[in-house]
Amino acid sequence: MAWGGFIAVIETDPPSTFNAGDGQIFAMIPSKKTFVLLALLVLPILTAGCTTPTHDLYLFGSINSAGRVAGSRDTALNGLYRRTPDGGFAHLGLNYPAMLTGSFDPRDARVFYVAALSGVLRTADGGRTWRIATSWDMTESKSIMVDPNDPDTVYAALPDGVGVSSDRGTTWQRRENGLPSRGKYTQVITVDRTRAGRVLAGCEVGIYLTENAAKSWRQVLPTRETVNDLQQSPHDPKLWLAATQSAGALVSRDGGLTWEKIPGVPSAHALYNVAFDATHPQRLALASWTYGLLTSEDGGANWTERNAGLPAPPRVWRTAVDPDTGRLYAAITGRALYVSDDFGRTWTNGGMENSRIQGFVFVPKSAR
Amino acid sequence: MNRFILSCLTFATATLLTAQPSFEAPPPPTAPVQDAGQRHEAYLKRVDEVLDWRAGRIDITQPDKHLDMAAIAVLLTRGEHYDVCSQRVIEMMKDPGTGPFWMFPAVCVAYTGRDKLTPEAQKAIREAWRTTRQLRGDTENHWVMYYSSLYLMADLYPNEPAETWYSGKCSAENLAEARGYLLHWMDDLTTSVGQGEYNPSHYIGEYAIPMLFLATWAKDPEMRIRGRMMLDWLFAELAANTLNGVLRGPNSRTDEGSVIERWNALTSYFSWLLFGNTPTPSGYGGWGVYFAPVAKNYMVPEVIYRIATDRSGDYVQRDRARTRRYWRYSDVLSPPVYKINYLRRDYAVGSIQGIVNDAIQGHAWDVTWAEPDPRGKHNTMFSLHPHSSMRAMQSQFATFPEAMITAVTFEGKPSYDSPDKVLGASSYEKIFQDLDTVIALYDIAPGTRFEHINGFFSKDLFNVSEDKSGWIFAQGGRTYLAYRPLAPYHWIPYLHYSGGWAKEKLPLGGRLLVSPHLKNGTIVQAASVDEFADFAAFQAAIRALPLKYSLESVPSVTMQTLRGKQVTFTYGEAPVIDGKPLDYSKWKLFEGPYLNAEVGGRKMTITHGRLQRVLDFNTLTITDHVTK
Repeated sequence: MAWGGFIAVIETDPPSTFNAGDGQIFAMIPSKKTFVLLALLVLPILTAGCTTPTHDLYLFGSINSAGRVAGSRDTALNGLYRRTPDGGFAHLGLNYPAMLTGSFDPRDARVFYVAALSGVLRTADGGRTWRIATSWDMTESKSIMVDPNDPDTVYAALPDGVGVSSDRGTTWQRRENGLPSRGKYTQVITVDRTRAGRVLAGCEVGIYLTENAAKSWRQVLPTRETVNDLQQSPHDPKLWLAATQSAGALVSRDGGLTWEKIPGVPSAHALYNVAFDATHPQRLALASWTYGLLTSEDGGANWTERNAGLPAPPRVWRTAVDPDTGRLYAAITGRALYVSDDFGRTWTNGGMENSRIQGFVFVPKSAR
Repeated sequence: MNRFILSCLTFATATLLTAQPSFEAPPPPTAPVQDAGQRHEAYLKRVDEVLDWRAGRIDITQPDKHLDMAAIAVLLTRGEHYDVCSQRVIEMMKDPGTGPFWMFPAVCVAYTGRDKLTPEAQKAIREAWRTTRQLRGDTENHWVMYYSSLYLMADLYPNEPAETWYSGKCSAENLAEARGYLLHWMDDLTTSVGQGEYNPSHYIGEYAIPMLFLATWAKDPEMRIRGRMMLDWLFAELAANTLNGVLRGPNSRTDEGSVIERWNALTSYFSWLLFGNTPTPSGYGGWGVYFAPVAKNYMVPEVIYRIATDRSGDYVQRDRARTRRYWRYSDVLSPPVYKINYLRRDYAVGSIQGIVNDAIQGHAWDVTWAEPDPRGKHNTMFSLHPHSSMRAMQSQFATFPEAMITAVTFEGKPSYDSPDKVLGASSYEKIFQDLDTVIALYDIAPGTRFEHINGFFSKDLFNVSEDKSGWIFAQGGRTYLAYRPLAPYHWIPYLHYSGGWAKEKLPLGGRLLVSPHLKNGTIVQAASVDEFADFAAFQAAIRALPLKYSLESVPSVTMQTLRGKQVTFTYGEAPVIDGKPLDYSKWKLFEGPYLNAEVGGRKMTITHGRLQRVLDFNTLTITDHVTK
């Protein structure tokens, strides 16, 4: 972990936990009051050059999915993979080819929720057993997130709106008051880690905000096409980024209330997701089918294509940054997972051959 | 008997019995069988033909090669080889499938074998429903198969805890969820606003087979009668839309083969089995085999049989359906589809108003003529805009834009991104039909992939001539055809993907009229050879029709049809017939001489002559009337 990043984390956050969605960090965030104590405790470990990751990395995806149709026999293990100590990935639990991403209960990481083709899947025992938590009236969940400040509440992005559970995924309700009757295709849902019930949803026609646990929503930004990703900075909770289908990348510096386009990011084609680097507040990454991988190392002022060393064409379905090491990941559709330890300047094949990785989730080992 | 002799005997027997009489024989007569007893006997004979054929393909000494779930269901139905079937089931359940196309065959084996398979085999089936997750899929037919199967398995194994099911839900929860969807599909969708997958050339099996299973095996008498009523509903629609058993367009979903060789579809298996008026496809349609083990529990009622086999009089059937779900880019989740079908003895004309009902597999309109033997015949004519669109993909699939187009070409729809395709729907096509006149207009946005239209000209057309009047005349079967391209064109050979997983296109004969103009149109007129002294007289009549059209600004046609109607049709506007705009909003769910239903009514009245059957999903009653 970079020292600067650590400083940034503990200097800016109120006491809270957060469970980020796709591609982001799930971490226990210390308060200012505990800064000194924690720093004293943690500093020796950091300065000892500890290489032991403090997060588990989970991947959601499928292998050899080209040509798969409903009912196809599985030719590989699909669904959830966890990083092994040797840097590889081991399949975990259900063989399910259409998992997109997941979110873990911060109180107990054995409890997690997965956005999947059949709706929302839930396990309470670390993936040993599963339940299709939703019924026939909710399908093809695109994104899911536990509220870190109210972890009994789970939000699911759906192609026709938003589903919410207030009882750890046991029952689900539609909470769409304020969403448009049409145009509420929701690709991503992200909970603000600073306040229970404050959630942003990326929809077909804009970004929507609720501050009362989805009892009502309001549009904070209209868009012409879908907002594909919304992420909150691990360094500054007021700072949010959005990746969109046709409006490029957007930034909000006031907690998602107002948004502006980030200059220098192309917008003619879709951007799939965006990632912050928890180890370095100036580092950002964007994934795109068309543009490949874009990075910024100055907080978004300048962007560079980091495709040299990736398979051509670099169809980057997902990107993420390891919160422990700053390692940059690029999931190349149908090819493999690529990793870079110099933020995209050079790449190596990180395994997961022939995969389509849909989501990265980092979970602190302390939450196990 | 030693093993060698047994093998020889088995092989010889299998060879003898693998004939497909109704596929290989001359086509059956299309005239109805008048005697009810004979009809019933003929139906049972056809069912047995399927069972015999499937059983005859089995070398029982090689169960790993010859016993799939269809074969096992057939053997169990015939009361044969329970021990071998049991062993094979145990083996197969070690590697189960993963979705609705595995679930309903597994249900078929579970129920046909519930008193025949060994306890170990039954346990193996049950265990597979614990260990292997099943994907629900994303289409209407996926869900009907999935929930019918889940319902029946939960019914078969009640009171079992959540940990014994792949879903993580107990038997009662699975049953309730499945019932919830099935009632929604029957009551709120199909019988109220229409099927999304209306008139599918293949997927009818994916509805009919689960409905037959429900009608046969559900413990709840309500679900049994619902299954039976849905079978009547589906087959009544099939009967009214077939020409001598052959389903023609429009189709919510069809495929590369069926869209040109109209007979070569699973619907023809059901027409053959239920109505006996067309040859069965090869292999009895594949999935069709799963209908046969239970088929004797259902027989299509006479009123539906009569509709299917009576083409003595012309009729128009106007119906409503709906599109596939639009997740995005639409004001309505499933906009209405307005279908019109005109059927005559020699040909049929059908269309929808021009809407993307299914971007990949939709087929909007055609004129299809009757062939004495439809096998191998490309007995159809139509045009289309071969649209390939990320936006269309995103409308109907919850996906990112770029990958989907390539993906579908590897998922059984190889032509989707081909400029010379003849399958798929376009948002740039608007259609008007009155009887046997079709006007299809195209206003393609610049930059669209692709910027031309294709007209399909079959290898089975004859007397084709490009007249200096601008009309192209042709004859198909006993049908005269006139095709009027509204913009310049050229010809290319028609190349065909023979199957969903084909990698190469093959020449099958026929050609495409390619018109590379954004503002475009097609007019087609059809008539029976009986209506004119000769082909020249038909051509003269067509040339004499008053016709004005413009492709400036917005494509528009004003003409008098062969049937004397004054028509004005402008792209994007309501068609005007004899001075009166066509108001689609007043269309009923079904309206015609045979099928009638109100939107939201949950009730269909099926009529033929003095016979009438009313399917009422409000009261769950089937009522038959015979007028005096």
